[in-house]
Amino acid sequence: MLATVRSATLVGVWGHPVSVEVHVADGLPGFTIVGLPDASCREARDRVRAAIVSSKLTWPPKRITVNLAPSDVPKSGAGLDLAVAVGVLVADGQLEAASIADLGVLGQLGLDGSVRPVPGALPLVDAMENSSIVVAARDSAVAELAAPERVRPVNCLKEVFEALAGTEPWPVPPVARSAPPAESEPDLSDIAGQPLARWALEVAAAGGHHLLLVGPPGAGKTMLARRLVGVLPDLSHAESLEVTRVHSAGGLALPGGLITRPPFRAPHHSSSMAALVGGGTARARPGEVSAATGGVLFLDELGEFAPSVLDALRQPLEEGMIRVARSQGMVEHPARFLLVAAMNPCPCGAGGTVGCRCAPGALARYQRRLSGPFVDRLDLVVRVDRPDPADLLDAGPSTPSAEVAERVAAVRARARERGAVSNGELSGPDLERHAPLDRAATEVLRAALAEGRLSARGLRRVRTVARTIRDLEDGGHELRAQDVLAALSLRMRLDGAGGLVHG
Amino acid sequence: MDDATGASPERGVHAAALASLPRATPRRLERLLGRQDPARVWKKVQTGQMAKWVAGEDLHDIWRDHARGADLDAIAARLESLDAWATTPASRRHPLAFIHDLDPAPILFRRGRVPDPTAPAVAIVGTRRCTPTGRSVAMELGAGLSGAGVTVVSGLALGIDGAAHRGALAADGAPVVGVVGSGLDVVYPRGNRDLWEAVSAAGTLLSEAPLGAEPEGWRFPARNRLLAALADVVVVVESKRAGGSMHTVEEAIRRAVTVMAVPGSVRNPAAEGTNLLLSEGCPPACSTDDVLVALGLATAGTSAVAGSSGAADGPAEPARHAGGASLDPLQQRLLELLDDGPVSLDMLVLRAAAPVPEALVAAEGLERLGLLARDGARVMRA
Repeated sequence: MLATVRSATLVGVWGHPVSVEVHVADGLPGFTIVGLPDASCREARDRVRAAIVSSKLTWPPKRITVNLAPSDVPKSGAGLDLAVAVGVLVADGQLEAASIADLGVLGQLGLDGSVRPVPGALPLVDAMENSSIVVAARDSAVAELAAPERVRPVNCLKEVFEALAGTEPWPVPPVARSAPPAESEPDLSDIAGQPLARWALEVAAAGGHHLLLVGPPGAGKTMLARRLVGVLPDLSHAESLEVTRVHSAGGLALPGGLITRPPFRAPHHSSSMAALVGGGTARARPGEVSAATGGVLFLDELGEFAPSVLDALRQPLEEGMIRVARSQGMVEHPARFLLVAAMNPCPCGAGGTVGCRCAPGALARYQRRLSGPFVDRLDLVVRVDRPDPADLLDAGPSTPSAEVAERVAAVRARARERGAVSNGELSGPDLERHAPLDRAATEVLRAALAEGRLSARGLRRVRTVARTIRDLEDGGHELRAQDVLAALSLRMRLDGAGGLVHG
Repeated sequence: MDDATGASPERGVHAAALASLPRATPRRLERLLGRQDPARVWKKVQTGQMAKWVAGEDLHDIWRDHARGADLDAIAARLESLDAWATTPASRRHPLAFIHDLDPAPILFRRGRVPDPTAPAVAIVGTRRCTPTGRSVAMELGAGLSGAGVTVVSGLALGIDGAAHRGALAADGAPVVGVVGSGLDVVYPRGNRDLWEAVSAAGTLLSEAPLGAEPEGWRFPARNRLLAALADVVVVVESKRAGGSMHTVEEAIRRAVTVMAVPGSVRNPAAEGTNLLLSEGCPPACSTDDVLVALGLATAGTSAVAGSSGAADGPAEPARHAGGASLDPLQQRLLELLDDGPVSLDMLVLRAAAPVPEALVAAEGLERLGLLARDGARVMRA
């Protein structure tokens, strides 16, 4: 007898509907799965058999064939286990075919018959249009986001069997856990002094400009970077869903269900290319750049990252997404993040000045690790130094994040009126329309170009930064010389000889 | 003709060949050569007639075998292509300063003109890792002294040495002398190739090292003694407590050559050595005039302008006063804060207690006026 159960599998960060067809026939007992299953999917055979037996149900001693359709989409993971088990029970006649008529099934099975959560529950449930969808109880909060009122959370195979047989009702969904208190984000008021770096942070947050902090160890680069998320506005609903979907597909913890705050991802500098941009042998899973989408990607010790890994970031920096090709197909992951990087000016950290113990050659080599095109994409390059304690006493209290966040939100709102997510994304004709230069500003830029301080791309980037600076001040329409000069000041050049050169 | 002994043109090929003998230290060569004609000495070495006490038993044979295998034509061609000369005390063109020195230099390689032995000479030395201030002071001193007819001697290294020469060359005054540690055909540091060529063209490039000699560590202390021997006054612009410049100072003191130091900020690690020298009683060199006074070319109290023609007109000098009128109050304030010494831009903004964008624009303006300079980490008065 034949049974067809609806389920879904992940392709990239999107769910893809799958029909699990189970055929039970007389013959020599056996169990085959066809239709592009990957290794963990093929292992479903053993889990399903054990789970059915452990649930005190009957394992049919017959020839069982499972086909996963459509057969051209690679299936991966153990998320189809429960669908296969239900299919076997229906095909064997232990359950009525009618009971699964409009049912979607998603879940991993334990050998004891328990139903476990699957990575990517949000996009998977999203892909299923059935009127009720069975998921693991621990996935219910996330699944509810995609299919409110249609989710049937279960804990074990026995519960599914009884509900479908009509002997017991569907288990009551657990009372929606109140979302755990949002992890408090570190506040900008913790940082005393450092007005330049704080301001650069504000400009970066307001305009979505990528930021590089250069300074000796202990100057507070990491502290600053971690506080960037705190001044970013909440995600919009659409952004929230996208971010949650990516995190769900990447198998990252989703303690509170929907993610509403911009994520902060800080991959270690030993990370491989695949870890950063996404990868895997058959199916490319989202990497750190995708997990950071909508939020901040922080690369500490930028100079220690493999140059090839950094150059792989150029596409996402430019296009807001990353295309990864693997043996079984190509996927596109969202990767629209704000890049914040930190590095020492040289291997010893003192920075090409008198205290520096590095040979001039070592310094040049260290900075040559960053390719020109990559550095060109960083709009703000700022030197950070250890503050002098005596000055800190006079400096007075620092502005708290909430105050900065307000200004940032106002600038972002202006950018949306211009039709961009942030000023950093303004380009070509939009720049001409929304960031006109007055005469003095044109002169300043012309001089900078003539001195070779700016590339053509750099010119465009400086203009977007100047737009943000004007927006932070009073939102005036025209960019003045001082806006452009301030933007140029925030764009130091890396240079082999002296650590950082202004320009 | 120089060292005329045989085939013409003779550029001192025998002297050059002697310098290339293995383990030929200046002291051994001095014992070997004395004031004799290098061609005759070369023949003695080749025929094994060299006195055994010159270099000892084993070197005697090693040198003899080396000399027999040497290709004098190749050496001559190399000297020719470089337009270089090798001299010994037997030559009238060998600097007297090196013959009567505590540690004489018996063989010297030269490109460019023969230095004028009567001209006063000042060695300007300092750290390779200098601050922009140090660099510009070295340039001003180089320009001022050269303009006043003083031979500026330096080591052609990165940092202070190179800056002093660049200043002197820009002033187009008295010819300069560069003394290097590697062979004349081994440019080191490679970044100074342009300077290397400019010095040989407009002045003199000297080295004790044979052609092809790499810049090995031990050659630099030896080079430093030549700097001290050539100079009437040694000026240290910026130096750490230990380093090549301090070694030059020791060599100068051994030779009773006046040492002067440029005072620096107590916060500047590159001025630790110079400030130490000052505290030990070394006279300060605050301007070109101070050095000229020490040379006896000017009298104390002469005004900067009257003191010497080129001295006070160093490149940065006029700019310091020129912008004064057009500065806004914030820019004035930033300059006052910078009087305290170099600080990070961040710290400057904090101390100015002004909104960040305004302070950045003010600093940018000062830099355009040439009143403010930056290195990798800090900003300072230019």
